Amino acid sequence: MEQSSAREEILQKLKQAPAEPVGPRPVLPPLAELSMTQEELVKRFTERLVEETGVVYRVKSYEEAIEKLTEIAQAENLKKVMVSTDEVIGQLNLPAWGTKQGIKIMTPLDFVDRDSYKDAVFLEADAGITGADFAVAESGTLGIRHRKDQARLISLAPILHIAVVPIERLVPTYEKAIDQVFANKNSLPSQFVFITGPSMTGDIQGVLFKGMHGPRKLMVILIG
Amino acid sequence: MEPRTEKFKELVARELHNPLSQKFLKVMPPIQNMKRSIGLSTFPDIEAAQAYGAAIRQEAIARLPELLEHFEKNALANGAQVFWARDAQEANEYILKLAKERGVKYVTKGKSMVTEETGLNEVLSQNGIEPWETDLGEFIAQQLNLPPFHIVGPAINVPVEEVRDIFMAKANLKEPTLDPVELGYAARLFLRDKFHHVQMGITGVNMAVAETGTIINVENEGNIRYTKASPRTQVSVMSIEKVVPTMKDALHLIRLLCRNCTGQKLSAYVSMDSGPKKKDEIDGPEELFIVIVDNGRTKIYQDLKARQVLRCIRCAACLNICPVYGQIGGYAYGWAYSGPMGQVLNPLLLGLEKTQDLYRATTLCAACKSVCPAGIDHPSLFLYYRHKDVTVDPYFGGKARPAQEIRFFKAWAWAIKRPWLWNLGIKMARPFINKNAREGIIRQIKGSFADWFRQRDLPAMAENTFHERWKNLKKEA
Repeated sequence: MEQSSAREEILQKLKQAPAEPVGPRPVLPPLAELSMTQEELVKRFTERLVEETGVVYRVKSYEEAIEKLTEIAQAENLKKVMVSTDEVIGQLNLPAWGTKQGIKIMTPLDFVDRDSYKDAVFLEADAGITGADFAVAESGTLGIRHRKDQARLISLAPILHIAVVPIERLVPTYEKAIDQVFANKNSLPSQFVFITGPSMTGDIQGVLFKGMHGPRKLMVILIG
Repeated sequence: MEPRTEKFKELVARELHNPLSQKFLKVMPPIQNMKRSIGLSTFPDIEAAQAYGAAIRQEAIARLPELLEHFEKNALANGAQVFWARDAQEANEYILKLAKERGVKYVTKGKSMVTEETGLNEVLSQNGIEPWETDLGEFIAQQLNLPPFHIVGPAINVPVEEVRDIFMAKANLKEPTLDPVELGYAARLFLRDKFHHVQMGITGVNMAVAETGTIINVENEGNIRYTKASPRTQVSVMSIEKVVPTMKDALHLIRLLCRNCTGQKLSAYVSMDSGPKKKDEIDGPEELFIVIVDNGRTKIYQDLKARQVLRCIRCAACLNICPVYGQIGGYAYGWAYSGPMGQVLNPLLLGLEKTQDLYRATTLCAACKSVCPAGIDHPSLFLYYRHKDVTVDPYFGGKARPAQEIRFFKAWAWAIKRPWLWNLGIKMARPFINKNAREGIIRQIKGSFADWFRQRDLPAMAENTFHERWKNLKKEA
């Protein structure tokens, strides 16, 4: 009863207030990215992500993507990784790769409950490997629709995040991603996230550094 | 946070002589302004982009009740729970109740201006629930019990020595260091454990999208993403004006927010929640509570001119460009909101009486207005508040000026409307005024106007007024 009255009171006060006309929206010129070719978009995506200290590897096929992963795993000395189970990662067959490389591959599905999964992703994983639903050229941004096969902490808790994105998923602007994700109001993802570079801060004396709470490094493998 | 806006002059005097604040103010705002310009240059037409942002915010505020209802309906359909709070106390009690019912010992908090306004941390700690601020700057400010120096970099002025000492004492820093990166890493490790085991997380909201019932957070560190991924319970607190009509509008505002704030094209993380996690998801909140807080805003909303302060998106561009902020920094404003945005907002939230100096400590240069992506006209609001203050507005209150001052200005207003009286007055006043001139400048004067001259100089009055010279010229001709 108390609650409905607070709601009513607030809305009532707002509705009683004098009305303010809403004018037509001014003209907004379209962003340059909207008229770019795919190669230009790849260039823009790469430049913008590199500005934020992200690393972009362009490969031709899933086979090459696996080769790149092997290189990264050796350079970063990866022993245990948490990987998502989305369709892009599924195509890479990482468990087989892990066995060959001597790397323990964990997925959220391996854990009996939330807490043991959290222990692993916080304390054990040297890296998180995920697919991404979008790569957005305008700011070198990844877009991820969180869901059963794309858990939130994999791209956040480990110190290294490696994202694998087929080039068909490269779009010029945020709107091109959001229009798809939010098209059907009945199937909205619980969370959608845009990721642009590693976690960062400048809160002590304005000194910028990466890896504040989330990954210190972000690597993107662009396939195609 | 207890407002100290009445101590403005005292705080200013202290901050003008605080070498640490001064050191930072020389460096930080110019760099931020430059980054902002570079960031904005990626728009095909900067003016058009800013104007479009202003139009979105104007429309959002004009349609506020309708958009809030629409947002609530969609948020509920997404499975979130919505609580409305008339004031700080109702919001804090509700959040405390949620925490107690779930038996949590601590919460992690993402940066939230509105919970600083409502003093949520104090209420939680008094009731035995530890609130951990997890944004690095907020974490430092919280440990040192300091108000925010800047709304985006709240502890950016705190010297590394002080950060080292407080981290040794309270954040498990083992080896003393003065390297900001190592200090940041120590905070990472300390707070990581909090994120790992947290059962309830509290965040603010940058935007609430009416058409989809989605709440959006914009951040760089990842602390908000943890706070929305690790715990089973998520509480997101928003003031009523955060709502925007559509996702498209939100995206444009986010572009503007990031560029105007840090010059980034996009901050590291922009996360958008439409309800709690689905059953088959392993992380994310099982329950999502959205707390919609009024706390004085419906009162502001009744005034068509004043309500434009509700358009603010908290980008801090106005702080970085402001010549007054550039001298005194954020502490002097005495509350969570500082700089021009605080100077237009605080007087309406705290009352014109308690914020006398805020709308007077301005050069009316309109630099704030020129950078604002929400189209707020700060200088005209300062004048509006001054008028309401001196006439003791029945709605917003105010404090009448001293009787002597009122009498003087009444007589002045009467006299300057009569040219003969003005001319006569000039002739009579000139010798008395010019008596104080040294090298053509009047720097001080004794008597009733002494205070006015404490901060101002006047050129001495000319030997002849314009009228007199005109007459003489005519005669010569």
